[in-house]
Amino acid sequence: MRPSATAYIYIAPAFALLLFVLFSPVIYGFWFTLFRIEYGAPTDFIGLGNYVRLIEDPTLLPTLSRSGVFTAACVVFTIIIAMALAVWINRLPARTAFIVQMVVIVPWIISAVVATLLFRWVFVNDIGVASYIIQLMGFDAVQPLNNPTGAMVLLVAVSVWKRIGYAVLVLLAGLKSIPDDYDEAARIDGANNWQIFRMITLPLLKTPLLLIAIVLTLSTFNTVETPLVMTGGGPGDATRILAMDVYERAFTNYDLGSATALAIIMFAGNILLVMSYVRLARWQA
Amino acid sequence: MSTITLSSAARARATGRHFVPRLSWLWSGLFGCLVILNIAPLIWGILTSFKGQADLFRFPPAFVSFTPTLENYERVFLSGFGGNLGISLVNALAAVVLALVLGLPAAYAFDRFNFPLRRLLFLAVVASIPLSIGAAALLIPNYVYFASLGLTNTPIVLPMLYAAHQLPMAIWVIKGTIEGIPRELDEAATADGCTTFQILRYVILPLVRPALGAAAILVFVGSWNEFVASSVMVDSPSLRTVQPAIYSFIGFFGREWGPLTASATLAILPILIIFALFGRLMVSGLTKGSVKG
Repeated sequence: MRPSATAYIYIAPAFALLLFVLFSPVIYGFWFTLFRIEYGAPTDFIGLGNYVRLIEDPTLLPTLSRSGVFTAACVVFTIIIAMALAVWINRLPARTAFIVQMVVIVPWIISAVVATLLFRWVFVNDIGVASYIIQLMGFDAVQPLNNPTGAMVLLVAVSVWKRIGYAVLVLLAGLKSIPDDYDEAARIDGANNWQIFRMITLPLLKTPLLLIAIVLTLSTFNTVETPLVMTGGGPGDATRILAMDVYERAFTNYDLGSATALAIIMFAGNILLVMSYVRLARWQA
Repeated sequence: MSTITLSSAARARATGRHFVPRLSWLWSGLFGCLVILNIAPLIWGILTSFKGQADLFRFPPAFVSFTPTLENYERVFLSGFGGNLGISLVNALAAVVLALVLGLPAAYAFDRFNFPLRRLLFLAVVASIPLSIGAAALLIPNYVYFASLGLTNTPIVLPMLYAAHQLPMAIWVIKGTIEGIPRELDEAATADGCTTFQILRYVILPLVRPALGAAAILVFVGSWNEFVASSVMVDSPSLRTVQPAIYSFIGFFGREWGPLTASATLAILPILIIFALFGRLMVSGLTKGSVKG
């Protein structure tokens, strides 16, 4: 390690970009919300007026709780399914495991807009394959997007489907770092598969599990594309979640004041998650 | 009765080894289905994009027995999708260049230099990784800020945003590889009279190429797939990227799934090609970018 001021020259450009794009808008955004906004421009100073207006908005609380339910359901289901898949893939022969892993992460590497669109085409559309299979099985064709619960279930399904690949990838990396000896030792002591998983694998996967829980929570909580493309927030407001609400407040209702205020509140929520992420990510300096 | 139960239980335990494979076949089948479910919508979407009007609305749906046609692609290109693809390509490549040019020196400095505030600044980089994942929350503040600076609707705004969102992850991935390069190489180069920049250029750079490749792929894919920033920061059609274009097609083509799936197919094609060519590199980059160690 060389003690050197030259280092600042090397990191300055990167930090200039991060400061300009990632950090300063928060400060400017907060300043912006302290004013009354007319035609997209700040007019007179109203202090926390935008926030007060936001909190008095009767739609805020239901939206917040919907976001909570949606995020929790997505994270829980994604982790459970990904865990099962990762344990299974980890036992496959190397070549098969690689191919399966590649297939599993496909929905994750394509864009949320396209993934949601294709998911909708197959599983939701009345002339789609899924509807055909349902009718083959003797059920009536359903229009799940027309009822609030069905729409929410589908929204969770598409979000889980989209992100499983990421979770599998991280969990697989975690599983690979567990030495085989542990398994063998436990087996010699008479442990069965479930006991090995519960007592050895799971505790050793604590860090990656927490890490994906945080990342999944962040990415699900802040998702705009999926509800926008899948349900448009409907029927009614049944699938209007917070991130989409911010987007629509700003660009459908042109209410930049409350949109920015809500964004700042969401950002504060994100910061809590980011802090726990940083604690977990083993960083050496 | 109890003896029978006991003995059958004992037999089950004794022959347990024979049960396991059969059970694992069942599980494999189940998991296999899950895996197929994962790409089924993709394949079905791609098939749909080659169907003409008649085959599209046929019910039960035609799986393979239809006359392939390119008419959906023609309609999509007539709606200006070629331009959107071009813009997205230019933006994503610019973001890749920007992220690597800024990321490599930063990663080098964080690993090889000791300077005041190093830990704190690196902490800021680490924190920016999840921060960018939740970037949608920041987007409206970002929009009002950039609008006040007159940056919205300019060709540079999107590459800049993409690069900033992917930069922390790029620094992380590149730094991980630089850590593995022996410091003795640096010391030998210094003894030969190299400056720190020359070390970066002639010692580090040739050895971090795989990490640069992984970072480049991640930045490209992330930029290409970006929707929210792309639709908020730019509204002139000549600057519109692929994802917002597809979203606008949903309104434009309505329930016409032919053109919709055609545009979706074109949008995922570059990603699938990159994935087929550099899958292993991409997976390693993604893993490094998400868990350290």
